[in-house]
Amino acid sequence: MYQLVQFISRQRAFILFAFLEVLSLWLFYSYNNYPNAIFFNTSNFYAAKALKTSNSIKEYSNLREVNTELATENKRLNEMVAKLQAEQLSKSILNYKADSAVAARFKFVLAKVQNLTTTQFNNYITIDKGSADGLAPGMGVISSTGVVGKIKSCSEHFSVVISVLHSEYTVSAKLKSNNEIGSVKWGGTNPDIVEMTDVSRYKTVKLKDTVVTSDFNYVFPPNITIGYVRKVGVKADQTFHEIDVQLATNFHTLAYVYVINNKLLGEQKTLEEKSGDAKVK
Amino acid sequence: MTPKSIFSQVLVFGFYLLLQIFFVRQLVLFNYAFCFVYIATITLLPFEINRITLLLLAFFAGLMVDIFYNTVGANATAMTLIAFLRPTVIDILTPQRGYDERQTLSLNSMGLTWFVTYTATLTVIHHFVLFLLEASDWGLFLPVLLKVICSTIFTTAVIVIIQFFRRD
Repeated sequence: MYQLVQFISRQRAFILFAFLEVLSLWLFYSYNNYPNAIFFNTSNFYAAKALKTSNSIKEYSNLREVNTELATENKRLNEMVAKLQAEQLSKSILNYKADSAVAARFKFVLAKVQNLTTTQFNNYITIDKGSADGLAPGMGVISSTGVVGKIKSCSEHFSVVISVLHSEYTVSAKLKSNNEIGSVKWGGTNPDIVEMTDVSRYKTVKLKDTVVTSDFNYVFPPNITIGYVRKVGVKADQTFHEIDVQLATNFHTLAYVYVINNKLLGEQKTLEEKSGDAKVK
Repeated sequence: MTPKSIFSQVLVFGFYLLLQIFFVRQLVLFNYAFCFVYIATITLLPFEINRITLLLLAFFAGLMVDIFYNTVGANATAMTLIAFLRPTVIDILTPQRGYDERQTLSLNSMGLTWFVTYTATLTVIHHFVLFLLEASDWGLFLPVLLKVICSTIFTTAVIVIIQFFRRD
């Protein structure tokens, strides 16, 4: 017994070292499995508060760019309103009419970016709205120009967003010109380029074609811009295209984002799960 | 250690940590060179500090930085490792005449060659562990290596430059 105590006291530095290493590695690898573990990231109240203060100083420097972006968006939205009003008239000829709840299922919450990275292998964004504003993990986030990411965790007034620039995040996408479905994922190095996969090589892919979110998407409404086709190649296994997509969102100057709250998501998921079970039986 | 020197050590520790979190975090050169100047919180502690304190301080500093980088655990792992290896590195780098009693761990007292070798060694270990953990994919080994090399040069340079402004 005495020898054991002596051994421990002699090796206490190594034992503490081993303990701390195991603890930090455990934190590192378990972090992704606990979406509500908000203490150790930037949605932590004190960390977010500190970032907010330091961000408010920097804000003035890129006001001009933010202004231009917002003005462009206003213009785009005005055009869209006009177009939709026109379309509604012609659409009423067809007998399809979306249920008003379905048509209005997406609600947008405007939030301001507090902190973001583009250069790590897994990038996150901190925004200044949280569960108090109705946000929850899993909701989609877009900017005025395109897709941004998905909420990972929320505290009361802040949330952390997994950006599209994250090695484990894929978005279901389609090509606008011919509706080919694929998925978009980041390659890990260049923050302006993402890769689109799963598009059969026997389909034509045009350069500069717009890549948008597909209709089979829980998180995003369909037809939100992701980016533009920049380079087309063929993968080593010869079955799929390898497409480089220039991101529409400029992550370097991102200042305001919209969080998309799909109010009918729960209903859709429960229904799909139920009918899936029924089929098995 | 006198209370006064302990107080100044705490100030230095806090200075590097705040510098990292609020200023250097946004500093990235050519998308590959990152600056982790907060490593100095551990590397600049006096020679005679005991290993237990060193390990605990390193873990704490790593965790604080992790919170702001959203990389829980990665910096803490790397920092704990270099805190554990620090005494060994100091032993290996012993000058021929041995360490002088009055020498302190600073650029002025140890000379440029010793200080740069010492800082760069610990920095390269830290960066290698950190970037490899973050990538967690061997396919990204080349970008990781490039990041490690560029960032080591950047971090070491910044730590050394700050040393030139010390008055002691």
